[in-house]
Amino acid sequence: MTVVPQSQTSVSRGGGSTGSLYDILELILDRGLVIDVFIRVSLVGIEILKIDIRIVVASVDTYLRFAEACNRLDLEAGRKAPTQLTDIVGEVTEGGAHGKSKGALSGAMEAVTDTLRGGHDDEDEDREKAPAPKRERPARRPARRREE
Amino acid sequence: MAVYVYSITAATHPRSLDGLVGVGEPPSALRSVCAGPLCAVVSDAPADLRPKRRDLTAHQSVQERLMAEGTVLPLRFGLTAPDDSAVQTALSERREEYTGALTALEGCAEYHLKAAVDEDALLRQILLDTPEARQLNDEITGGDASPDLPLALGEMVAQEVQARQDALATGITEALRPYARQELGSGPTGKDFLSVSFLVDREHEQLFLTAEKGLAGALGDEVEIRLYGPLPAYSFV
Repeated sequence: MTVVPQSQTSVSRGGGSTGSLYDILELILDRGLVIDVFIRVSLVGIEILKIDIRIVVASVDTYLRFAEACNRLDLEAGRKAPTQLTDIVGEVTEGGAHGKSKGALSGAMEAVTDTLRGGHDDEDEDREKAPAPKRERPARRPARRREE
Repeated sequence: MAVYVYSITAATHPRSLDGLVGVGEPPSALRSVCAGPLCAVVSDAPADLRPKRRDLTAHQSVQERLMAEGTVLPLRFGLTAPDDSAVQTALSERREEYTGALTALEGCAEYHLKAAVDEDALLRQILLDTPEARQLNDEITGGDASPDLPLALGEMVAQEVQARQDALATGITEALRPYARQELGSGPTGKDFLSVSFLVDREHEQLFLTAEKGLAGALGDEVEIRLYGPLPAYSFV
């Protein structure tokens, strides 16, 4: 790997833009002290966020997506890859597994984004589109878990 | 009236919350409810609380302000008590637990780190390193129509992706562990293969940040590391 001066790391100190709030969402919603005699308000949105944001990796969908991504890669900049064929393979698979796995991901992301960014913070509109991403199939085995 | 509870601090904490507002629309006013050596920061609870940006920000801003002035036990978002006296009862009943936790967290902050890897770069490297995968890929792109091949390639590559991400995650965590008191990981989310929180005390903060910076530099721009902090110690209360 190349060594470059790091530029992407950001320590977002205090105050938080929406971007950093988004990345620490799981801390605010999922961690923090719980006092068991207190009631946690029913927050339907939270549960959905928690479930859908965990993206599953080991599945046929994922395998096909990886294969397709590999097929598309131009491995050697100099080599003339059969790009036309690659594109066709890509398009054919697009409607199938790839589309679905991507849909689940962007669905979850949109739900989170709606909650956090929402463009405008309008109460009623927000309530209308409570995050409820459609899931085309039940989640498969969460293979990448590294729970502690 | 139900009260929304944000944080617990020592009674000696200044809790100067000027300029901040609580959850709800219109925003509720923040106040303290105290019992013995402990105080809770609360506000009236709105009737229909939802995890909206405004409310999450209000919750988080209270923690950040309190953290700037002392030690805070941040509560999870969304907890309400029936009334002020229920808060006082909870503070009294768990007095030792909470004062102990406040002492343990003194001078500490949480840093939350997420890491993602550029997928194309990773896949390219895997294909270059793995002759079998490379061959399968060549056969597929060369026009072999057998539907088994993409699945075989995908499975092989997925395992390799997993192994490399695990190795990276372990490497990153181990590089920072010496400067942290505690750590707590969670499952990968979205594109991030690593999502882990560290509890860092003030003495080690610079070392921790320097180590993280060195790590990010050494890993190059194919691995994106995002570090957030100092944060209230949500993961360690």
